Amino acid sequence: MLVSINWLKDYIDFDLSPEELADKLNLTGTAVESVKHLGQDLGNVWVGIILDIKPHPNADKLSLATVRIDRPETLEIVCGAKNIKVGDKVPVATVGAHLPNGMDIKPAKIRGVTSYGMLCSRAELRMGADHSGIYILPDDVEVGVPLAQALSLDDTIIELEITPNRPDCLSMLGIAREVGAIEDRKLHKPSVDLTECFEKTSNVASIKIIDPDLCPRYSARIIRKVKIGPSPTWMQQRLEKAGMRPINNIVDITNYVMLETGQPLHAFDFNTLHGGKIVVRRARNGEHLETLDGVVRELDESMLVIADADRPVALAGIMGGEDTEVSDKTADILLESAYFEPSSIMRTSRSLGLLSEASTRFEKGTDPNGTIYAADRAAAFMAEFADGSVDKGVIDVYPKVIEPKKVPLRADRVNAILGTDLSLDGIVNILNRLELTAEVISNTTEMWVLTPTFRPDLEREIDLIEEIARIYGYNNIKSTLPKSGDKQGGLNLRQKLAESVKDRLVGAGLSEVLTYSFMDPNDVDKLQVPQGDPLCWFVRLLNPLSEDLSVLRTTLLANLIKVLKYNVNREQYDVQIFEVGHTFWHESGKDMPDEETMLGIAMTGAWKSDKWYDKARSIDFFDLKGAVESVLDELSIANWSVRQFTHPALHPGRSAELLIDDESIGYFGELHPNVQSDFDIPRTYVAELSFNRLIDNAKMQKEFSEIPKYPSIILDIAVLVDDPISNDQVLGVIEAAGKPLLKSARLFDLYRGKGVPEGKKSMAYSMVFRTPDRTLTDEEAFNAREKVVGRLGKELGAEIRE
Amino acid sequence: MVTRADIENMYEKAKTAVVKATNLQQLDQVRVEYLGKKGKITSVLKTLGQLTPEERKEIGQAANKIRQNLESDITDRQEELSREEVAKRLAAESVDISLPGRERVYGHRHLISQVIKEITDIFIGLGYKVAEGPEVELDYYNFKALNTPADHPARSLQDTFYIRKAGVHPADDDIVLRTHTSPVQIRVMKSQEPPVYIIAPGRAFRRDVPDPTHSPMFHQVEGLAVDKGITFGDLKGTLEEFSRQMFGRKSQVRVVAREAFEAGIAEDGPQIRLRPHFFPFTEPSAEVDVRCFACGGVGCRICGSGWLEILGAGMVDPNVLIEVGYNPEEVSGFAFGMGVERIAMLLYGVPDIRMFFENDTRFAEQF
Repeated sequence: MLVSINWLKDYIDFDLSPEELADKLNLTGTAVESVKHLGQDLGNVWVGIILDIKPHPNADKLSLATVRIDRPETLEIVCGAKNIKVGDKVPVATVGAHLPNGMDIKPAKIRGVTSYGMLCSRAELRMGADHSGIYILPDDVEVGVPLAQALSLDDTIIELEITPNRPDCLSMLGIAREVGAIEDRKLHKPSVDLTECFEKTSNVASIKIIDPDLCPRYSARIIRKVKIGPSPTWMQQRLEKAGMRPINNIVDITNYVMLETGQPLHAFDFNTLHGGKIVVRRARNGEHLETLDGVVRELDESMLVIADADRPVALAGIMGGEDTEVSDKTADILLESAYFEPSSIMRTSRSLGLLSEASTRFEKGTDPNGTIYAADRAAAFMAEFADGSVDKGVIDVYPKVIEPKKVPLRADRVNAILGTDLSLDGIVNILNRLELTAEVISNTTEMWVLTPTFRPDLEREIDLIEEIARIYGYNNIKSTLPKSGDKQGGLNLRQKLAESVKDRLVGAGLSEVLTYSFMDPNDVDKLQVPQGDPLCWFVRLLNPLSEDLSVLRTTLLANLIKVLKYNVNREQYDVQIFEVGHTFWHESGKDMPDEETMLGIAMTGAWKSDKWYDKARSIDFFDLKGAVESVLDELSIANWSVRQFTHPALHPGRSAELLIDDESIGYFGELHPNVQSDFDIPRTYVAELSFNRLIDNAKMQKEFSEIPKYPSIILDIAVLVDDPISNDQVLGVIEAAGKPLLKSARLFDLYRGKGVPEGKKSMAYSMVFRTPDRTLTDEEAFNAREKVVGRLGKELGAEIRE
Repeated sequence: MVTRADIENMYEKAKTAVVKATNLQQLDQVRVEYLGKKGKITSVLKTLGQLTPEERKEIGQAANKIRQNLESDITDRQEELSREEVAKRLAAESVDISLPGRERVYGHRHLISQVIKEITDIFIGLGYKVAEGPEVELDYYNFKALNTPADHPARSLQDTFYIRKAGVHPADDDIVLRTHTSPVQIRVMKSQEPPVYIIAPGRAFRRDVPDPTHSPMFHQVEGLAVDKGITFGDLKGTLEEFSRQMFGRKSQVRVVAREAFEAGIAEDGPQIRLRPHFFPFTEPSAEVDVRCFACGGVGCRICGSGWLEILGAGMVDPNVLIEVGYNPEEVSGFAFGMGVERIAMLLYGVPDIRMFFENDTRFAEQF
């Protein structure tokens, strides 16, 4: 809503600068988008009149104009344009002017003649692109006044953002009422001085509302023998300042009154209405209407139309029809001033994708009791500015009068909600400033508040409390803290564990990323996932932004892989990331989609870069496994294991399933080379684990165990085993055979190659032997080692390497 | 026969040898040569028995004295040599301290997570718990229970991602991607009796085409307090305290703002400013501006006016309390919500919201 301060002053007196007013509006709930001072750079630009034009003595293309402004002496100005004649009123920039286009005006000698100013074009004043000549001003402007004043540009425009609950503020009078409430000043609502002629409106026109649920009120007037022409300059200027284009006097008047009162009006060319009839009804399916914007609209029975005896002539509350539009030939006008059901207007406007100044007002709720005033006001203007004669009376179909609401209000409640200490009188005073009448129930602090129909938002006690808070000033309410002292804040255990896992991964060298909860459904194909796999149980959006964001992610991996790719494409080759986030799937037959919190990890490139002390090393499976193990360690999960795992997205020889006890937690491994090439990324390692199940298995109760009192004996052992034998197998035998003296065993070397036969590998373990109650003898330790050697040989065919 | 002169001569020679010894080994050789079991001075002392008592006394005393002197000379020299040797070793072991240290590899938490943590910590200090909820939400929790009118524009297919929509009119079991984390408030209130003091950080979704200031996915932190006697003043006080800690004088990290305050540049006024606004689920409702942390409120490139719009807030609408089975005559509450990306962009000067989800490592490493 664009509000001209000068216009606003027609309705309300206030002693505030535009900035102060903007501030006050802002802090009472009418958001100010901008404050624009018009005509600011038009200093030293005046309305001048041309008294004489002579050719320039030294230049054929130039002329010499004698111009008078407000002083007795005249100015000689050199001019190149040819569109001026004696008697024209033109903008004259005198010495000292700094024009909107950046030009400074100084006395200048042009071809030997001194010019004391400049006659301006529209372009030079930034009032349009017209460069073709000097801006010839309307005849009725006064010579000698500043141009800004002559064009009513000594004004400030405040742009307001009106919230949907305040349709009353979509009008100058509504804004003036707000200002009145803020400043405690009375509103001057213009009185209407309407002279009606003898003919009765109801004799020539008839109005019928078929669907009063969608149109509770329809008022109309007839104005005859109008002369279509331009509206008065002041009206055009005001419309332009409000962002509307002047068209002709009739249309301009309907728009002007709408801007003034908030009541949209529509003028029909009465003689084009068949049968002189207005019928307000639902459209019939398949009916058509060509609206004023020239588009033929197909209607259906959810839409309300204004029809005449035969056909729809307007889309009720949204836009008029082409056939009944006011044209140069129009003589008689039927002026519509109606109240339509807001939600119906909104639905129709949405479904047709058609917004208008009228529809934005109707869909938020206009004042059902404001139709007559607006119709009368417009009719009076049509009589005055279009020479129309107004028929006697208004046709007003209003089957069920909408009364102001009576809303109960308790002063105690006001203070209890706001934390204020307002008196009953103080509360009533604020209500009155808002034109709300309060009837206090005697001997109580309770009251009935009558809320006018232009405030459809005020229905409940809390609505009134907000009004009081707003006008009292939010910032005048004292800041306090909730009094309750027995509340304890904090994260719960799961939340703490979740944070510690993420911090641990960061400590382990991975960075946290956040990717969209959406994914590209084609990515599961790139992951080689077969049809029917749970990763294809997509939760699809009905209205996605694009195909690649059209489903919710069933896995974190695709988005993580794309983060790697994004970085690799930007020469960031070493990337180790994780994300904790939801995945979503919709199992067929289930009502609701499921979602679960997952931990995803992706790594590519090198572990550190080349350093003066060390060479870079490519990330491998065991870097990934180390990251997974760090999570298990953080959660003190000991009872985990891994097993061979096949997944279409993973390298079959380099992938594993993580189990806790016997429950699968997820999987990790190297991406299958085909997947890498489909995504066009280098060698990549990924993990996807159920974060919830990891947290479920966290072992939080920790207990002290004795620190060994007696020394340990550490013995090493190196064995040659067949290649397929795993570390877990070897360790299993060592641990079983070494009991009870063996406390721990650790692989410290793994070797294939020279000295080791083909198909075999050498594995070296360091074993720690100890007893809790005495010092172990060397002999005991050696015997235990021998037992281990024997069992390894027997069970795994391992040869000992000495 | 050994004379006293011989002994003194011997001592002189030994002393020279001590001084000449350039390392502990040589010095030890000198000690063995003179003071060892078969050493020269030891030998003299061994022969004392052959002397007359007078001679024995004289020579013996002289020899003992010389032995003591020599021992102390050797000790001195030993210390000196040790010092030299340590000094030499230290000199040889010195490193170029300007070489970079051996890297301990660590990653970074996402900036959004860091900001959420900062916000969360403040509210934990004020007595709040953290609540979470699903991202795929029923219309009921996301809209209806929050008093959103059936024809509210936020419910349109233009603005909200739908997964299931029964028809033109909203249905409770329509499924949406939550458009705010407010449905968590409903879930919490439905699951417990007041008092409730929670914040709900998390993802939210709106159907915005990505551009520098819009993202179809973003993060919010919502807060809710419902208790006996909660007032609008409590809402103001809570947000004021939060803002002081997050952006203002109490902030440990916002150095610029503190300096602006301390230098007296900033007007010594309130930390926040409330402007009435309209939200379906709160009344009275407010948009909350925070005094600019960069300039302290005098107006700068970041804020323009000295104020930054950061939060939406208000008193929980009685309809919402009734919907969850609370009695609005007995308890009242306030709620607030803030966009995490916006705060992060303002605090850290991030120019484009899309950077948060591109996850460029060079972006992550800055924070």
